[in-house]
Amino acid sequence: MCAAVKHLALILLPILSLLLLISCSEQESSAQKAARDGILLIGNNSEPQSLDPHKATAIADGRIISSLFEGLVRPSPEQSSIMLPGVAQSWQHNEEASIWTFNLRPEARWSDGRPVTASDFAYAYRRLLHPEFGGKYAEMLYPLKGAASYNQGHAPWEQVGVKVINSQTLQLSTDGPCPHLLQLMLHHIWYPLPAHVVEAHGGMLDRRSRWTDVDNWVSNGAYTLKEHRYNNFLEVAASPSYWRKQQLRNRGIRFLPIVNGFTETRMFFDGKLHISNNVPPEMISYARAQGGSQFKQTPYYNCIFYRINCTSPPLNDLRVRRALSLAINRDALVNKVVRGAGRVTNSFTPPSSGYHVETPKQPATQAEREELARELLAEAGYPEGKDFPSIEIMSSSREVQRIMAESVQAFWLKALGIRVDIRSYEWTAYKAAQQNRDYQISSSAWSGDFLDPATFVELWRSGGGNNNTGWGDPELDAALNAARRSQQRETRMSQLAQAEQIMLRAQPIIPLYWSERCYLVSPMVSGLYPSPMESQPLDAVKLNPEPPSNKP
Amino acid sequence: MIKTILQRLLQGMLVIFVLVTITFFLVRLLPGHPFLGERKLPDHIIAQLNEHYGLNQGAGIQYLQYWKNILLHGDFGPSLVKESLQVSDIIAQAFPVSLLLGVLGMGLAICIGIPAGMIAAYKRGCGTDSLIMLFAMLGICLPAFVIAPLLGISLGKHIPGLSVAGWDNPLCVVLPALTLGLINAAYIARLSRGGMLEVLSQDFIRTARAKGLSSSRILRVHALRGGLLPAISYLGPAFAALITGSFVVESCFQIPGMGLHFVNATTDRDYFLIQGLVFFYGVLIVLANLAVDIALIILNPRLRSQSSQ
Repeated sequence: MCAAVKHLALILLPILSLLLLISCSEQESSAQKAARDGILLIGNNSEPQSLDPHKATAIADGRIISSLFEGLVRPSPEQSSIMLPGVAQSWQHNEEASIWTFNLRPEARWSDGRPVTASDFAYAYRRLLHPEFGGKYAEMLYPLKGAASYNQGHAPWEQVGVKVINSQTLQLSTDGPCPHLLQLMLHHIWYPLPAHVVEAHGGMLDRRSRWTDVDNWVSNGAYTLKEHRYNNFLEVAASPSYWRKQQLRNRGIRFLPIVNGFTETRMFFDGKLHISNNVPPEMISYARAQGGSQFKQTPYYNCIFYRINCTSPPLNDLRVRRALSLAINRDALVNKVVRGAGRVTNSFTPPSSGYHVETPKQPATQAEREELARELLAEAGYPEGKDFPSIEIMSSSREVQRIMAESVQAFWLKALGIRVDIRSYEWTAYKAAQQNRDYQISSSAWSGDFLDPATFVELWRSGGGNNNTGWGDPELDAALNAARRSQQRETRMSQLAQAEQIMLRAQPIIPLYWSERCYLVSPMVSGLYPSPMESQPLDAVKLNPEPPSNKP
Repeated sequence: MIKTILQRLLQGMLVIFVLVTITFFLVRLLPGHPFLGERKLPDHIIAQLNEHYGLNQGAGIQYLQYWKNILLHGDFGPSLVKESLQVSDIIAQAFPVSLLLGVLGMGLAICIGIPAGMIAAYKRGCGTDSLIMLFAMLGICLPAFVIAPLLGISLGKHIPGLSVAGWDNPLCVVLPALTLGLINAAYIARLSRGGMLEVLSQDFIRTARAKGLSSSRILRVHALRGGLLPAISYLGPAFAALITGSFVVESCFQIPGMGLHFVNATTDRDYFLIQGLVFFYGVLIVLANLAVDIALIILNPRLRSQSSQ
């Protein structure tokens, strides 16, 4: 055996000597070095699809784009519901809030030194809505008067409510009152484009244009594009022509596209990141124990729920849908499956100021809820789950969704005596099945595009593109239309809440929980405030290289 | 030999043609399409996008157009998901990373696997053989997604200079290359042990022993050439697979290589990227197999005489 060990040692000798050599090299962590250089290292989930604000749809892209561009208004770093002047230094609207006039600041500049003008905004909106461009998020500009008709090729551009009064004044007309227009404008879809650069690289309609390459890059935000190494990192550097450049608290940001949450958490604790994007549920207790105050858990404008295909038996029966909802032990789901990264809910829209929804009344304890669920199921003709037809939960192949489906399967078997199957699909097949309504119960999630309940409640409009439940109610549509016409914020909020209550009573969905974002922030970082939206302004983040590294 | 090489190249071209054709039509049979996002797009937007990329035409016309673009312009098309990037740009950025990792991984695998297999064969049946084969079996049975984090946690965290993941300094290559190297070393060790055992039991080795040659000379000069043939046959496809990236290892160590693209392009239905990657992979496999064929002809006298006939 001694000889055996000797032989093995001989074979492994090259590896051992290599490791010894390496252990004698430099000691400083990447995060400490970057902090000294004033560069923020941040985990950003995935490689951006595009840096063109009109082609990007992923959340990771939005975060990068909002550091590169600035819209008419910008969010306050401390509180994302407060709007601060961006390219527009002031604005006015008529009493109905349907005609908005924005006065652009003369000192706003593109990174090549040219002034940002009203025409750059008009150019951007025209491009996104152009009937030959294929703007994936063109619908987000539909609040503008005539935008939908132009986008569908039924009306000329001149009829769209975008008017350049002069180079410093832009007037936008909306289709009816739009008191929350400024909230909508925080999305990157509303940013201007450097018309002169886009035109120089293939023009407005060229989808294969290279204007977003590093060499051609021009933007008007706090940062400008410095380096992009595909699937490795994307680095932005403070823009010398930005009008607020004196107030920037760091010199640049490096976004790392780390999809794997386990890898990202390991990298954070190895001193490779200042801010991580997501701690997966399985690592929450480890990250909490190792990270202490570095571990953050903050509310997120997102709801996790089950969609129900209401068009065929047995799920077209409200009593069955209610029974299924009541039998789910949401507390256990949130505590055991997502390890506390959520808040249990029986309604859909996450809380926001001024919005209050009355959820349908139900018993206080889980045992009572299960009892009521059994009664409802018996009323529907399935006492103790007898003769209940076979149904299926469809989930994507994401680990959390699968485990959640297995838990719900167990809850229903235990409380109602019914057996359900689980069908797990890879992401695109899952989305295709959901959008074609080829499912019975579908594990779903929805995140708000902007901080307003309409982004959630509008989902349930009859025949809406993302409704996908086959359920609709003219009463809900009427409440949503009334909210669209409403000029008063309070009235609008109560009409939206009324619409949500109609939906909750009919139960085309089973709400489960509102997610919370779990992430890690190094002690070197200050000035990062939690936000329910994904895009926290990063220009206010300051780095202090002094604190020790985040290695546990 | 030149005739054999030309024959193999022609066969390879045919293989690539069939491979690309099957892939082209298969990916279009998958449910969903490249523009399927989190939110449902209105039909008129999908129609606009399809028109932009020529996806509104019949599959036959698209297929002919695809070959025309490759043969006349060398254009493999754009990525349909990461718009404004060309398929060739994506491969050009990711391939050097996977190539570096693959070459190092394979180098380590050969340096560890072949001596281990030889020693195990020579010490057949004793403690050394059992111990080496135990480690080889572990390397084969443990999946990369277990070995990678284990190495990351055990070595990356404790040896200064090494990192658990990331690609921001030259030493980042060590642990992923070690992961790939150890896994492949396990296969190579078993294959070379098997090959060596077969050769060592043959008559000419007994003759060599009878002549009084030393054990190490018998191993190095007489047995090695024949004993390595199974391992060399394995090396070709394994090398092609290594340099085109490993999804699991790249994901665990956050490496910007090719492996991630293979999986992401398929789940995103990025038609042109899938086709481009399959084309590229096909070419590499054909070339690697050709290299193996040449090596085998050089090493194996029987094949050499066949190819010269």
